[in-house]
Amino acid sequence: MSLAPLYAKAAVGAVLPGRGSELPTDEVVRDDVLVDRGHLADYARVCGFALSDTLPPTYPHVLGFALHVELMARRSFPLALPGLVHVRNRIVATRAIDAGELLRLAVHAERFVAHPKGAQVDLVTAVAVEGDAVWTGRSTYLARGARPPAGAIAATPDELPDVSDEPAAAVWRVPADTGRRYAAVSGDVNPIHLHPLSAKAFGFPTAIAHGMWTAGRALASLQGRTDDAIAYDVEFRKPLRLPSRVDLRTRAVDSGWDLGVAGRVEHLRGTIRRSG
Amino acid sequence: MPARRAAVIGGNRIPFARANKRYARASNLDMLTATLDGLVARYGLSGERLGEVVAGAVLKHSRDFNLTREAVLGSKLSPATPAYDIQQACGTGLEATIAVANKIALGQVESGVAGGVDTASDAPIAVNEDLRKVLVALNSARSLGDRVKLVGKLRPGQIVPEIPRNAEPRTGLSMGEHAAITAKEWGIGRTEQDELAAASHRNLAAAYERGFFDDLVTPYLGLTRDDNLRPDSNVEALAKLKPVFGRGEDATMTAGNSTPLTDGAALVLLGSDEWAAAHRLPVLAHVVDAETAAVDYVHGRDGLLTAPVFAVPRLLERVGMSLQDFDFYEIHEAFASTVLSTMKAWEDPAFAKERLGLDVPPGAIDRSRLNVTGSSLAAGHPFAATGGRIVATLAKLLHEKGPGSRGLISICAAGGQGVVAILEGA
Repeated sequence: MSLAPLYAKAAVGAVLPGRGSELPTDEVVRDDVLVDRGHLADYARVCGFALSDTLPPTYPHVLGFALHVELMARRSFPLALPGLVHVRNRIVATRAIDAGELLRLAVHAERFVAHPKGAQVDLVTAVAVEGDAVWTGRSTYLARGARPPAGAIAATPDELPDVSDEPAAAVWRVPADTGRRYAAVSGDVNPIHLHPLSAKAFGFPTAIAHGMWTAGRALASLQGRTDDAIAYDVEFRKPLRLPSRVDLRTRAVDSGWDLGVAGRVEHLRGTIRRSG
Repeated sequence: MPARRAAVIGGNRIPFARANKRYARASNLDMLTATLDGLVARYGLSGERLGEVVAGAVLKHSRDFNLTREAVLGSKLSPATPAYDIQQACGTGLEATIAVANKIALGQVESGVAGGVDTASDAPIAVNEDLRKVLVALNSARSLGDRVKLVGKLRPGQIVPEIPRNAEPRTGLSMGEHAAITAKEWGIGRTEQDELAAASHRNLAAAYERGFFDDLVTPYLGLTRDDNLRPDSNVEALAKLKPVFGRGEDATMTAGNSTPLTDGAALVLLGSDEWAAAHRLPVLAHVVDAETAAVDYVHGRDGLLTAPVFAVPRLLERVGMSLQDFDFYEIHEAFASTVLSTMKAWEDPAFAKERLGLDVPPGAIDRSRLNVTGSSLAAGHPFAATGGRIVATLAKLLHEKGPGSRGLISICAAGGQGVVAILEGA
């Protein structure tokens, strides 16, 4: 499911005039989506989840991502897709989703607001099974240097807990091809993840890992230790340059976990909480 | 006799899948973890610290070291549950059950899980042995000169990998070829093999139909029943298949009366009666006793898969029972001919006298009590998973039959070994 053609379209659209100043108000919807078990196996492998009939809570994000791109690749979308940075992601799963269930995916954009460094927007993915909402993902993207919408002011997001005092639970040796491998599975073929040269073109010294790969792998390390109904909130901090050696730190708290991934700099903070 | 007998509380397995099909992308760890989580869900063991989990796999990657412990760590069980791997070819699952049951009988643990997993799809492929030697030397070479010399030893032919074969290291014969020798020796005919295979499919299908496996099997990757099962299997159709093992006119073993390569996992929950009661769990059966035998199939006179022929009479003597004292017989169907030659050997007076040292042969068994819910010919045979499948199945059958009912398990294994056990219904 390569999204490369859509990316290319968005890249061309980014330099053409005619960009809108307001968010599209409609939803992008896919009905009767059935998970491809081969794709699920690829995702499980690249992130480190055991392969089962239950979707990893981060997996629906990958299903919804194609719809994010579809929405953002529109000429009228107020922000240019290339160069958008994923800064925060909140997932709320109300129950486990079985890979055999027919899913309805709906994506819309909201909260287009000014940010100290440009403008930011949330892409919200809602997953429903037979009319029941079972999963929501809110992905916040930042467009550096973008012209913010008039009037709106970004609320400063609450920072997630710092776990840097904790001893490392695991050391990850993250190979150089991690971005390419996750891109092949997620469809997120943003050039900053693929190769040092393509990353340099966008101002990064090396390719960087996808934030949602880091978030997925961190969650996979706690597989069996979390509830089915969870809220997984992650904050992407400094890019994780490839290849890398980083530490995963976890802290058990009352109703879940706090976690962090850091090397010389901090890459990710996250919280896992029982939901509902 | 031990102070107490271990209780079989229940089991869980995933449907078995023919190799390179539904579970082609699943690793041993994936399947074992899913099976363990299914067991945990069924018996409400989330977060529970069990005495131990013992399991194994026959086809193992080097990354699969500590496979069972890794499965525990990825499961809903408490991470404080210890685990270890064992491997005794096709006897793995039953030997694991015996290991856990013995610790329970001795009072060393109060609860445990036993079983196994195997994948013939995700089989380990090793680098060529010559290449491996060069790579090992290269890794420890100290100087650039040494490294250059070693790189010069690399040859194109070394790219050819080592693929695991289903063959005995000491004889070079596949298991099927070994079984064909034994079948010929005992004069096992084609029709009786096909009849046994058809019965296996018929019995397994009937057991599924009556819901027997509803609390023994958890669907996995969308599969809800063993996909090797052919409910409409019959002797006429099986008779049309060409022999694949043995040579010449009298070759009798086909793909239909031999087990296919299969992927799957099966686990059994064991505990003391006290532990089961404290957790409000039912006791299906108790483990009475077990025996393992081995034969010299390389230079001696015995066939590769004939060790249970010796193990069972030894076990019967120890517990003071006769071969006819059982309500159910679970004889693992590695090949139809293996089951038939095993039974024929038990009936043979000369064999009893010369080889078993018995004046009276163990005798015939009531065939209507044999593999009554099907066995490996229908379900498939993921090597290390078969023992767990059989123990849970027999325990449930005995529980249905009632307290005091008895069942015999007989499993042949590569390396000329055989693991047998007796369960008693609770």
